[in-house]
Amino acid sequence: MQATTQPVFFKQGPKPFSLLLIYASLSLTLLVVDVRWQILQPVRETVSVALYPLQWLATAPISAAQQVGDYFVSQTALQRENRKLQDDKLLASSELMRLQALRQENTQLRALLSTRAAHQGKGTLTEVLYNDRDPFTAKLVVDRGESSGVRLGQVVIDPQGVVGQVTRLQPLTAEVTLISNKGHTVPVQVVRNGVRAVLYGLGPENPLEVHWMPLNADIRSDDVLVTSGIDGTYPPGLPVARVKRVDRNAGSAFARISCEPAADIDKHRFLLILDERRDQPARPVEQAAKPARRGAHKEPA
Amino acid sequence: MPVSSQLLKPVKRSFIVFTFIVALTLALIPWGPMVRAFLPDFVALTLLYWCMNQPRHVGVGWAFWLAMLLDIADGNVFGQHGLAYCATSWFVLGRHRQLGMFPLWQQALYVAPLLLANQLIMLLVRMATGSGFPGWSYFVGTLSGALLWPLLSQLLQAPQRVDKPAEIQS
Repeated sequence: MQATTQPVFFKQGPKPFSLLLIYASLSLTLLVVDVRWQILQPVRETVSVALYPLQWLATAPISAAQQVGDYFVSQTALQRENRKLQDDKLLASSELMRLQALRQENTQLRALLSTRAAHQGKGTLTEVLYNDRDPFTAKLVVDRGESSGVRLGQVVIDPQGVVGQVTRLQPLTAEVTLISNKGHTVPVQVVRNGVRAVLYGLGPENPLEVHWMPLNADIRSDDVLVTSGIDGTYPPGLPVARVKRVDRNAGSAFARISCEPAADIDKHRFLLILDERRDQPARPVEQAAKPARRGAHKEPA
Repeated sequence: MPVSSQLLKPVKRSFIVFTFIVALTLALIPWGPMVRAFLPDFVALTLLYWCMNQPRHVGVGWAFWLAMLLDIADGNVFGQHGLAYCATSWFVLGRHRQLGMFPLWQQALYVAPLLLANQLIMLLVRMATGSGFPGWSYFVGTLSGALLWPLLSQLLQAPQRVDKPAEIQS
């Protein structure tokens, strides 16, 4: 009524209270309709499409930030994982290498076992502790000594052949002089024809040589030399070396015969100390001679 | 400082729409549950501000349609926000001349119960339609909204201010 008398300038549309009544009743109606009949779903869906840009605007920075965060998180995680995998790989490869070493060791041990069986089970399995510190000598220290029953002069072999000889004893360790040690001699025999010879070591890194053989001696390259057993230290028949080269120089009186050891003398970790005591005849002559000489000595006194 | 003591430029309708869009966007940001409990109802605050300061532009109709949008965006029952916003905006519209003279902190004191009423109406609607009580943290937003009122008023009024007050005085 008042609105009709008001000038147009002051016209503000319907009064707020009437608007409130209208919209509040509309709200209530919608509320009841929505709750009771759930028929407003299409409206909701349509309007929510219109709201989608706003929703995108609201969520885009956050999701972008999350994605960036994800990117960096996954970057660090990837790096960490990569590092861990590499560590694992390193570990695994070291394990693998150890496995290969163990496999080799195992085959060698089995070979030694069969060697020992071939020697009627006599022998002491031993492990190389270290090479002798002296670079001029070819010696090894093994982990069996006097307490294990090792004696001086025992022969040390590996599955392929003679390695050396026990030359020094300690309670728990023993020193093995290799056949390549300078001045070490092994009495040998050519398998092919039985020619006897003496094999000299010339020091580490040098080949073995057979000395004092005449130029016409029947030794060829690829001949296999085995111990002859003449000295009583080396049991007969153990492979020692293979002839590599024979130089027959007319200028010298003897042939120069180079050999390489049959055994891998500087490679293995496990060796076999042979326990083959060969009863040598005693030296009765000296024992008999000494009292006689003493007696002869006494006679003039 | 009372708002009415300043000489202000007329507001642009597009700015009002823009502020509502911003408020809606803020409401739509997926805050975590902890943050959401402390956040005020941005749309209600903006609505109350415009109802108080531009009653000829913004009224109960705006309140209703904004509330519809919020209901749809939140997936609530229709009319939950509508009832609350219509009631409070009507209340502010009836007293906008009086409220406009209050300093901002006093306005905030006035707005706080209105925001609380909003929450209460919505709570009643939800509980009437079978929802459970969401816990007392539901009302924390009222407090933060009242605290935010002076800042929001200054911010929304900024485009209307005259750049050089000295010129006006002369």
